[in-house]
Amino acid sequence: MSVDLRTQVGTLSLTSPILTASGTFGYAREFEGLTDLSRLGGIATKGISPRPRFGNPSPRICETASGMLNSIGLENVGVEGFANEKLPFLAKLGTRIVVNFFGETFDEYVDCAAGLTAAARRHGGGIDALEMNISCPNIKKGGVEFGTDPKVAGDLVRACRAATDLPLWVKLTPNVADLVTLARAVVEAGADCLSIINTITAMGVNARTRRPRLATTFGGLSGPAIKPVALRMVHQVARAGLGVPICGIGGIASGEDVAEFLVAGATCVQVGTMNFVDPDAANRVRDELEAFCMEEGLARAADLVGTLRPC
Amino acid sequence: MRYFEATLAENEVLAPHTFVLHLDGCAALAPMRPGQFIMLRGEWGRDPMLPRAFSVLGVADGRCEVLVKTHGRGTALLEAARPGQRFSLLGPLGTSFPAPSADSRQWLVAGGVGLAPLLFHAERAAAAGFASSVRLFYGGRSAVDLVLLERMARAGIAVDLATDDGSRGMHGRVPSAVERALDADRGATPPTLLVCGPEPMLIATARLARARALPAFLSLEGEMGCGIGVCLGCAVACATRPFRYTCKEGPVMALDELRGPYAPSAPAGDAA
Repeated sequence: MSVDLRTQVGTLSLTSPILTASGTFGYAREFEGLTDLSRLGGIATKGISPRPRFGNPSPRICETASGMLNSIGLENVGVEGFANEKLPFLAKLGTRIVVNFFGETFDEYVDCAAGLTAAARRHGGGIDALEMNISCPNIKKGGVEFGTDPKVAGDLVRACRAATDLPLWVKLTPNVADLVTLARAVVEAGADCLSIINTITAMGVNARTRRPRLATTFGGLSGPAIKPVALRMVHQVARAGLGVPICGIGGIASGEDVAEFLVAGATCVQVGTMNFVDPDAANRVRDELEAFCMEEGLARAADLVGTLRPC
Repeated sequence: MRYFEATLAENEVLAPHTFVLHLDGCAALAPMRPGQFIMLRGEWGRDPMLPRAFSVLGVADGRCEVLVKTHGRGTALLEAARPGQRFSLLGPLGTSFPAPSADSRQWLVAGGVGLAPLLFHAERAAAAGFASSVRLFYGGRSAVDLVLLERMARAGIAVDLATDDGSRGMHGRVPSAVERALDADRGATPPTLLVCGPEPMLIATARLARARALPAFLSLEGEMGCGIGVCLGCAVACATRPFRYTCKEGPVMALDELRGPYAPSAPAGDAA
């Protein structure tokens, strides 16, 4: 028996429900020869801003119990750099390319969405969807303010929706009290898919030196440590029945982890921090999901989606 | 660069909490040049989670040697590792030290387990017939911490030793030993310093190189999550642009390219 891993995310068909997460997979070329890029369900690129950005001072990362903190500062090559240096390689991989993007101001978000859409048109394709990062906790001016207020987030998504004809995914922050209200506002503004969750705001302290472990004091927690939080948030939004697919993100390290997210209501998932631990992680997870489905007698992985039973 | 599994053949204790992992199955590391590094991780679940960067002491016949000193949970797990244990490796990664030649004068400045890539470099130099082109300065806290001295002698490598407590070699830190040797040096061309060791020792040697206008290459250790330029954790401040990455543009970097604690204008740190 073979397992059908194909997945439909809105209008976008994927060969498997497993993508790689933004900020953990570079622009994919870094993993050439380390994993079979063509077997990935998709690749969410490093977050792109209208102009190139340098990141934060060091230390930028530190390990925590089954996870890590980061405060990279959204370093990236900018729209033009992405279009000229990164897109041609990505477009040839035969997998879905989801370009993550952000801005520091309202207008920058819109410019970025429009700029990436124009770049894809010039290139004759190559971008299958945009993923809007309204949730990165690392930038004072951009991240948290946009991503935590439903009205502001809705306005921003509406403006970006009008600036692109590509499928628009919106990546939500977990750093809010009521994710469902935020998700509803974003869906009403035209989001085609919700990516849930970004990193959880956190900090580390070195008690010996009395210093924070990150130069910016606060950063984002990722890795297996956050999986239960991510599952809870995916399920809360799924249960609200907003009518758009959910891409589950948070500490996925195995095929069974993927199955948990699908059962909780995600249509697809992204593997993030584990790409650092094992550069072949996303494809290993894919194989494990296939094996899980076979053990469970499932012909299609998609049959797992939203099948959570009462306890 | 390859991602592969290796098996521990031997865990050789050299001094208290200082040991060499002899890993089999490392044919993929054959192209490794001294100064380059690997990302290494044992099969111990998800805590510790990330692989760690290690320089390499030697590579030959499919076997890789990694010199380790225990200083945290991960290295304690490595110290306890037994033959047969499996590890995942990624490498060779990063930049290497400049190659020696018949007319080059390279002074290798090593502190603690920073010895590993420099001894690798010196052995390769000696094997290529350039033993007289390299001179090794090697320091530790005490005589018991100085390891692999017989191996240096076997390779015909000239070594100047220093210990903090004066129990072996010069009484003092390695940069002081280098300074003293520079004062006595009558060479026609100034030596190039290749440096690897703890941060205070790197800073002190960088200051010395700046003060004496010597070319120098430092092996740096940033906080790496991935080793391949993806996580962007290992940024170091640079002269010509804001940052460079220790994993891709290092670990060996020319002193001229660096700023921050290595630059002469930096505020005084905890220099050795």
